[in-house]
Amino acid sequence: MIKRRENPLLHYHLLGFTVNRWKRQPVLYGAVAVGIGLTYLLVFQMFRTYEASLEATLNLSLFVMCLAAPLMAYNSFSLEYEKGTWESLALTRLTAGEILWGKWGAALARVALLTLLLTPMLFIATDLKIKSDGSLLGRFATVVEPTYELYKFASSVALLFSWGALLVSLGVWLSFKLRRTISTASALYAGQLFALALLPTLFAIFEIDTRYSIQDSLSSVNSFRDGFYWWLIAAFSPIIVFYLNPFYTTLMLDNIVFDQYYSYEYVDAMQYIYVGWGLTQSVIYLSWAIFFAGIAYRGVKTKWRK
Amino acid sequence: MLDVQGLRKEYGELVAVRDIYFQLQPGDVFGFIGPNGAGKTTTIKMLATLLEPTAGTATLNGIDIVRQPEEVRPLLGYMPDFFGLYEGITVTEYLQFFAAAYRIPKSQRQAIINNVLELTDLTVKRDAYVETLSRGMQQRLCLAKSLVHDPILLLLDEPASGLDPRARIEIKELIRELGAMGKIVLVSSHILPELSDFCNKIGIIEKGELLVWGAVDEIVQQLQAHRVLEIKPLGDAELLIQRLEREPHVGEIEPRNGSLYVHFVGGLEEQADLLAALIHDGYRIAAFREESLDLEDVFMQITKGEVS
Repeated sequence: MIKRRENPLLHYHLLGFTVNRWKRQPVLYGAVAVGIGLTYLLVFQMFRTYEASLEATLNLSLFVMCLAAPLMAYNSFSLEYEKGTWESLALTRLTAGEILWGKWGAALARVALLTLLLTPMLFIATDLKIKSDGSLLGRFATVVEPTYELYKFASSVALLFSWGALLVSLGVWLSFKLRRTISTASALYAGQLFALALLPTLFAIFEIDTRYSIQDSLSSVNSFRDGFYWWLIAAFSPIIVFYLNPFYTTLMLDNIVFDQYYSYEYVDAMQYIYVGWGLTQSVIYLSWAIFFAGIAYRGVKTKWRK
Repeated sequence: MLDVQGLRKEYGELVAVRDIYFQLQPGDVFGFIGPNGAGKTTTIKMLATLLEPTAGTATLNGIDIVRQPEEVRPLLGYMPDFFGLYEGITVTEYLQFFAAAYRIPKSQRQAIINNVLELTDLTVKRDAYVETLSRGMQQRLCLAKSLVHDPILLLLDEPASGLDPRARIEIKELIRELGAMGKIVLVSSHILPELSDFCNKIGIIEKGELLVWGAVDEIVQQLQAHRVLEIKPLGDAELLIQRLEREPHVGEIEPRNGSLYVHFVGGLEEQADLLAALIHDGYRIAAFREESLDLEDVFMQITKGEVS
């Protein structure tokens, strides 16, 4: 049996100072928590009342993730350098993997928590209908038609979490590399602005009509094998800039409908499922996240001589 | 035993540390002296396994710091000159963190933490938050953290910098105690009076080169082969100068504030003979003493004030 080793760094980043903050200023933190909780419930109620679309809900959730995720990792290593604690940490018996997991794992846990908080909104935004049987979940819906909606819901949650995971992994690596908190935060926000807004705008200037080109190209996809080749071809095309943009992914995700009368831009929903729209992007984000965590690990191992 | 063998660090053209050799035994408190930029911190960081030497190595109880950094780390405690502490946790939690990070069994942790808190005189602050401690107390906490795993070598880089006089005295006492406990303590500083009180060995580094190292008394004695005698005559100093110039062991004579400072090459026997001869010749001598060297004099005699 593998014996799980204690990781004080993970404990510190996950709970250590957070618990003490509550202990020290319970009224202040309590008031903030109540405020956030009430705002959350209000937003949740608004989404439910006005039946916000999945596109709007997921876009808003992604926007929250884009803002919050960098804050979960931007100082993970840079603060060690700025405060002069890294040498003491490097000399302990914690391995490079444990040090990285202590920081990355804590950031991932926060991303997971945020995703979990946003999931109920995504749930009500999809037309994931559950029998109104009087149960708590049943109160949100009345019709049973889950096939594609379940896919959309799962993709949305995966997209949200994986984008957050990518941001925190990039943040952990950048904070190790740049050694400055402010530089890391700037790079994370500026990088997102460039990749998610500026680059697509540049493409739009060159009049790449993505919405129709994706539907045209999808028309020939009739199996998962076709879907694989579709991605392979896309990977070598400039259009990939859009396909890997989570906001664009969201836009198209909402087009997956089971009834053509629900949409003007009907494409057979199965064709989106054959290319794994949403889920594939999530897998790619997670692969990048693992890549950045990997190079951060390598950095700790070589630079800290672990 | 710490055995430093030709440690060298180059940054491109710049040689920060130039082939340093020295050996320290358990209980030695080694004052590593040098001006800013001399290479003290670089040497300490190499010994702490945080920097890889360009050439040379060091062994701690036979374990090579270059080839076996992971094996040597549990044996050393390091306190950097610029240090920080994890905030938002109490003193005890901070020490618990490092005890866990050094894989000290849970059952032993509390007793060890109590011991180091007592040793560093922080018991009363055990529940205080780290960031609320004064600079001196934070320094002691950093030292306490370095002691949690009972290292045999302590590397303290400028441990008293930025401290008020009381905190300086306290940290000096603590270092002396650690030496008495049988640990090898290497303390760097450029403030000499700070080191003279508790170091039994010193090394003087300048421009990356270890100019001299050894027991404090031995180094002072070596340098005092060229002694300076203060002779305060009653009456005409000129006559005395003429008389002294005839003496074979006397070199340069410098009159200052009514005294003559005589550079004397010779031992205690020759000194006594000189005094007897002067009195025999009828010179009235109000004071006759050898100027003793302190660390500052040693440092000034050896170094040239250059940095690498």
